[in-house]
Amino acid sequence: MRGRAGTLVGSMDQPSHQFLDIARLLEASQPRPRQSWFWYGVAGFAFVILTSSWAAKGTQETQLIVRLLGFLVMLGLFVVMIVINMRSVKEQRAETQRIEAIEELVQLRKWDQAAMMLDGMLSRPTRTMGARLQALVYLASVLGRYHRFEDAIAVQDYLLEHAQFDPATGHGLRLMRAMALVHEDHLFDADKAISELRRENAESAGLALVEMYRDVRTGHPAEALDIFNTRLPQLRAQLGMRVADAYGLAARCHDLLSQEAEAAAAFAKATLLAPAVELFRRYPELAAMKDKYKATEAPKELSAMYSPAADHQGPASEILPGQARWT
Amino acid sequence: MISVQEAISRFRRDSTMSAVLKFALGAAALVALSLHFFPISKTIDPTWVLMGLGVVWVTLWIRTVKGSRMAAESSTLIASGRLDQAEVQIELSLRAFSMSKSVKSMSLLNLALIRLAQKRWADSALLCQEVLLAQRGPESIAKSSRLLLADALLELGDLRGAHEALSGLYNHRLTLGEALNLLRVQTDYLVRVEAWGHLVQGIETKVQMADLMPAGNSARTQALLALGAKKTGRADWASWLRRRVELLVDTTELAGERPILWELWRMEEPKPAEPGAGAAAGLAAGLAVGGTVAEVTDGAAGRAVTQSSDKAAGDPAAGDGAAGS
Repeated sequence: MRGRAGTLVGSMDQPSHQFLDIARLLEASQPRPRQSWFWYGVAGFAFVILTSSWAAKGTQETQLIVRLLGFLVMLGLFVVMIVINMRSVKEQRAETQRIEAIEELVQLRKWDQAAMMLDGMLSRPTRTMGARLQALVYLASVLGRYHRFEDAIAVQDYLLEHAQFDPATGHGLRLMRAMALVHEDHLFDADKAISELRRENAESAGLALVEMYRDVRTGHPAEALDIFNTRLPQLRAQLGMRVADAYGLAARCHDLLSQEAEAAAAFAKATLLAPAVELFRRYPELAAMKDKYKATEAPKELSAMYSPAADHQGPASEILPGQARWT
Repeated sequence: MISVQEAISRFRRDSTMSAVLKFALGAAALVALSLHFFPISKTIDPTWVLMGLGVVWVTLWIRTVKGSRMAAESSTLIASGRLDQAEVQIELSLRAFSMSKSVKSMSLLNLALIRLAQKRWADSALLCQEVLLAQRGPESIAKSSRLLLADALLELGDLRGAHEALSGLYNHRLTLGEALNLLRVQTDYLVRVEAWGHLVQGIETKVQMADLMPAGNSARTQALLALGAKKTGRADWASWLRRRVELLVDTTELAGERPILWELWRMEEPKPAEPGAGAAAGLAAGLAVGGTVAEVTDGAAGRAVTQSSDKAAGDPAAGDGAAGS
C-alpha cells in the first residue's frame, strides 16, 4: 500500500495507466443487484402453512411434531432475518465510513491516500448507488489534482448524464467541469459550460473564478480584472481561503498589463492566504511570477509548509460540491 | 412554525409510543410463536398471526423510512441555507410517527441548528439538551448536539455549561467536520475565559484547520487566534493572522460580533485595503480618541452584523460558497 502511494506521488505528472483507470472503475463500481431474500421468506412461510394444514388432518403425534417443527422453522427464519439485516447494516455502515474517510482525505489534500482508497473502493461493486456517485465526485477532484483533466471531464460528464443531484451539488460539479475544460483548452465547450452556469447562478463566486481563469489563459487580463474588481465581495464571502486563487489570478493579470506595483500587491495578498507553491500547482500560469514578486512570509513555524520545496498537494479544480457545513 | 415546547413534547410522546409499540410487537411475536405448544393453535394459526404482525411492522417501518428521508432532506436544505424550507420539512418529520428514535433526534437537532442560525440561543440549547437527555441514537448525533449546545451556551454567556458540553467531546473520536466545529467553539470559549496560553498552543495546526472552514468561521477563528498571539507576545503570528482576516471578511462586522476583537485593530493606522477591510481600522483609530470601542460596537455595528447574518442565513446563494470552494 505504502509502496504504491510512494510511486504515485513520485510520478504525479505521469501516473500509471493502471491506476485510476476510469473505464475500469466506472464499469467495476456498478452496484451488483442484490439477491432478494424476500421470496425465500415467503416460500418458508408457505411451506409452514401447508405443512400445518396437512398435519391438522393427521394423528395427535403428527400434529405435535409438525407444531414443533413449525416453531423451529419460524424461529430459524427470525434469526436468519435478524442476522442478514445486521450484516447488511454493518456493510452499509462500513461503506459510509469509507466515503467519509475519502471526503476527509480530499479536504485535507492528502491526494495520494484519497486516490488509493478511491481506486480500492471503485474497483468492486459498491453496495449503494449513492455511495458510488459520491465516490465518483471525489474521484473527479483527485483526477484534477493529478492534472488528468480529460479523465476528470469524462467522470463529470458521466455523473451529470447518469445522476440527479441537488442544485448546489450539480452546480459545484458543473463548475469543476468548466474549470477542467479551461485547463484542457476546450474553449468552445468551456464557454458553453460557463453560459449554462451563468443561467443557473450568475452570482456564483466559483463561476467568477472560472471566468477569470479563462480570460487569463486566453490573454484577456483586463476582462479578468474587471470580473475580479466587480465580484470581489462575492469571491470573499463564498470562496473563503480560496479567494487566494482570485488574488493570484488578479496578480497575473496586472503582471501581463505591466502594472507591477499592483501585481506585487495582489501577489502578496494571494500568498498571504495560500502558499505560492500551491497556487503555482493550481494555475501553472502563475509560476511566471515566481521570481518576480515577493511572496508574503509566514511565521517561522509555518515556513516549511510555505517554502518553495514544500509538496502541497492541491488540485487545480479542487471545487467540491455539496460539502456539509454549519451556519 | 413549530415551537420548541411542542417539538420537545412530540419527541417525548413519539419516543415513548415507539418504545411501547416495539415492545408490544416483540411480545406479540413471542406469544404467537408459543401458540404452537397450545391446543388453541388449531383455531388460531400462529403463522397467520405472525404474518399479520409482520405486515404491521413493515408498514410502520415504511413510515419511519419516510420520516428518515424528510430528516435527511432538511439537513440538505440547511446546508444550502434554505432555512425556512428546512423548518417546514422538520415540522413534517416531527409530526409524523416514526419507530426510530434517532430519526426524531436528527430532526430535533436540525431544528436546534436553525434556531442557532436565527440567534435564538436559549431555544437551541433546550433542544440540544433534550437530544442529549434521550441518550439514544448514533454517536454522531450526540457529538453534534454537544457542539451545538456549547455554541448556544457560549452565546448565552454560560461558560461553565459550555465547558461541560465541550469536555464531553474529548473522549470521542471526531470526524474532520466535527473537529473543525470543536476548534471554532473551543477558540471562542478560550477567548472568553482569557486562557491565552491554551489558545495559542499548537497554533500552526489550528491555523491549518481554520483554513478548511467556511469564510466566516475561518475568519473569526483566525482573528481570535491573532488576539491570543498578540496577548502572548507573538507579534509575527498576530500580524500575519490579522492581515489574513482583513482579506477574508469585513472586520467591522466581525468585531461587531465579537467586540473583544477590536483590540486587534486598535491604534492601527487606517489602511486603504479591500472594501470594508479598512473600515474597522479606521473606526478603531477614531475611537481611540473619542471613547471606548465596546460602546460603539454594541450599537450600530452590532445591528449591522445581525442584519447581515440573517440575510446570509436566508440567502440561497450562500450555499454556493460550500459548493464553490
